[in-house]
Amino acid sequence: MRALPVVALALVLVLVPFGAIVGASAPIGLVKVTEGTATVQRGDETLPARLGLAVEEGDILRTGADGRMGVVLRDDTRLSLGPESEIQIDRFLFAPAKGHLALVVKMTRGIMAFVSGNIAKLSHDAVRVETPVAIVGVRGTQFLVKVE
Amino acid sequence: MLSGERSYERCRGSLVGGVLGLMLLASCATSVPPPVPKQSMFLVIPDPEGKVGQITVTNQTGTQVLNQPRQASTVQSANDAPSPPATLQETEIKQIFGEALAAQPSAPARFILYFKDDSDELTPESEMLLPEVFRTVHDRGALDISVIGHTDTIGTRDYNYQLSLRRARKVADLLAKQGVDRKILDIDSHGEDNLLIKTGDQVREPRNRRVEITVW
Repeated sequence: MRALPVVALALVLVLVPFGAIVGASAPIGLVKVTEGTATVQRGDETLPARLGLAVEEGDILRTGADGRMGVVLRDDTRLSLGPESEIQIDRFLFAPAKGHLALVVKMTRGIMAFVSGNIAKLSHDAVRVETPVAIVGVRGTQFLVKVE
Repeated sequence: MLSGERSYERCRGSLVGGVLGLMLLASCATSVPPPVPKQSMFLVIPDPEGKVGQITVTNQTGTQVLNQPRQASTVQSANDAPSPPATLQETEIKQIFGEALAAQPSAPARFILYFKDDSDELTPESEMLLPEVFRTVHDRGALDISVIGHTDTIGTRDYNYQLSLRRARKVADLLAKQGVDRKILDIDSHGEDNLLIKTGDQVREPRNRRVEITVW
């Protein structure tokens, strides 16, 4: 795609605009793909995962037997779930100017595809995926996880 | 699994009762099923650009580094070390992870449009980029578009905030004219506070006179 020449600028673009708006209830990304039963649990509330729904730190993403869901985070991290899957975006910090970089995803079941974004690019030990039996440190870029 | 956890809780509660508790504990120890082993599999594949990265799989008993295409490690339980890397076939990967891969969203697209000095008028070059911006917005079925205006450091901070707001609104209007729903447009103005090219105050810099568009 012609967007490629923009890649060099993309980093700068990402660094600047989102630096100031990372906080507990600020959107950290959005739902970009959803199919079948897919929900976002925020505190006591469970929302159907419609296209464009904002994702916040702490959200639990869940799919049913017929469900799939894909989200994009502010740093360009892309997460997608197959059926019967559950993850929590436990921590998301993206303020490169201050050196605040962290992404922790807890996965309790199912299958997930993960493409790391600028947090992993900028810091080698800032991105982590935790399952009940092991922790993944992420340098980049694309990997898959299955939790039975 | 849930009932197992509940009976475990009951057993812990009974600990309070001294000798009786100890006896109960003994009986519990045999009746409580072992924790469900959440076996996990980790697998590195080339990213959409064909590059293979690196992940490290770690628990209290070991570590494995995966950095070759289709290398996988499995972990049976928190007490078992991650298995040495094994290479999976494409077909196996499709079979296990196909549904998650099918739900993978594309990365956001980003554009920068530049403006004439002290103006909300696009440079001719950026004008020519507009069709591509519109096409991208349309092709992706954009869900959210962030439009952020910027200026260089000529003029006061307040003036520049207003100028970059005008620039952002101009671009937002252009998008709206193409049928983009204004509800998905996030307009913001950073004035002279977010320079793409770092300069001192009162410096003319064409590359700072811009609007940044992110298409989600």
